Amino acid sequence: MILDRAGVERLYRDHGHLVLRRARLLLGSEPDAQEALQEVFASLLRSPGEIRSSVVAWLYRATTHLCLNVLRDRRTGARILERHAAAGAEARDARSDAIAEVRALLGRLPEEVGAAAVYHHLDGMTYDEVALLLGCSRRKVGYLLERAQSLAAEGGRAERSA
Amino acid sequence: MSTALANASWQACLSALRLDRWLAGELPPAEAEEVRAHVASCTSCSGASASMREAREAEPLPPSRLDAPPRPARRPRLALGGAGLAVAAGLLFLLLPDGTGERTKGTGVGIGMWVRHGEEVRRAAPGETVALGDAIRFVVTTPRRAWVAILSLDPAGRGSVYFPGGERAAEVDAGVDVPLPVATRLDETPGEERILGLFCDRPVVLEPLRSKLERDGALRPTGGCEVIEWRFEKR
Repeated sequence: MILDRAGVERLYRDHGHLVLRRARLLLGSEPDAQEALQEVFASLLRSPGEIRSSVVAWLYRATTHLCLNVLRDRRTGARILERHAAAGAEARDARSDAIAEVRALLGRLPEEVGAAAVYHHLDGMTYDEVALLLGCSRRKVGYLLERAQSLAAEGGRAERSA
Repeated sequence: MSTALANASWQACLSALRLDRWLAGELPPAEAEEVRAHVASCTSCSGASASMREAREAEPLPPSRLDAPPRPARRPRLALGGAGLAVAAGLLFLLLPDGTGERTKGTGVGIGMWVRHGEEVRRAAPGETVALGDAIRFVVTTPRRAWVAILSLDPAGRGSVYFPGGERAAEVDAGVDVPLPVATRLDETPGEERILGLFCDRPVVLEPLRSKLERDGALRPTGGCEVIEWRFEKR
């Protein structure tokens, strides 16, 4: 699919909500999520031939890639994590605390491992769906998810011993 | 499973991707019918799809900023980066470029770097020391249209993609010192940062290259891509 500006604008109107929803989940910061929304569609305009089949799947990949990069940037990632920690207890619940912990973890994981963890755990995708998005085998998805688990466990041990 | 990953897990039985594809009308008819029937009988999936639909209907999207950051000008005397593209660190700065790329090879491609330190903006030379927290922006030179990416290997050995935000290298028209529309602020890790400019004849997928860079500490030119390396010292 080769998109011109009007085509990208149409996709923005039709699918922008799902990008914004996922960016909010992954970044936990409204301004950063809004920037991510704009950047995902701007990148589509810069590379208009990127979508080869499912628009939704492409937007999942692009949003995840962008948000993981933001979290991996130490400075931005730290600001996002601090913002959650500073939020009042009334604005937080067990799931939002868990998601904030996952954000910190994602900032430390190699990107492909982080993407697999996002797709499988936060988006509830099956191994087949994750394999399709990552362009790899189911077996590799299993390996990536095991890596995510072991790195999460190592991180948890390091924090407890600190 | 890690407690955080378990507690943050998606709660419906069908994945968010499948529900989004269903709501977008992307699924083939038989699969769409299967999803519809499941959603009609499953509380968690009907709740998840209802909240997706409600978010779409209840909240208007902000206007797109597709018109704000146009393709970079070939040779700007004074250019302000588009705020919509400042994702990684949120800081863009004024460039006053009028010089040639320092890191140009025989094929004519090259990268250059501009640095903002406080109020001062300067063009950095390869190997130059840059202060922690300075903002940087790259320019590229290419004699022909190319698909470009800027990757980095930080002092801790971690690879990342500075540009572009998408998963593939971005198309850049032929030009000299074409500013890339993303600037970033350097993190607080001192040491040598290696920058690799990738100039390809097609929109290559970047994640395998980033992984390879992180694993091997190097990227070799392969399959229609040229690699230009740049280093600077963060102190």
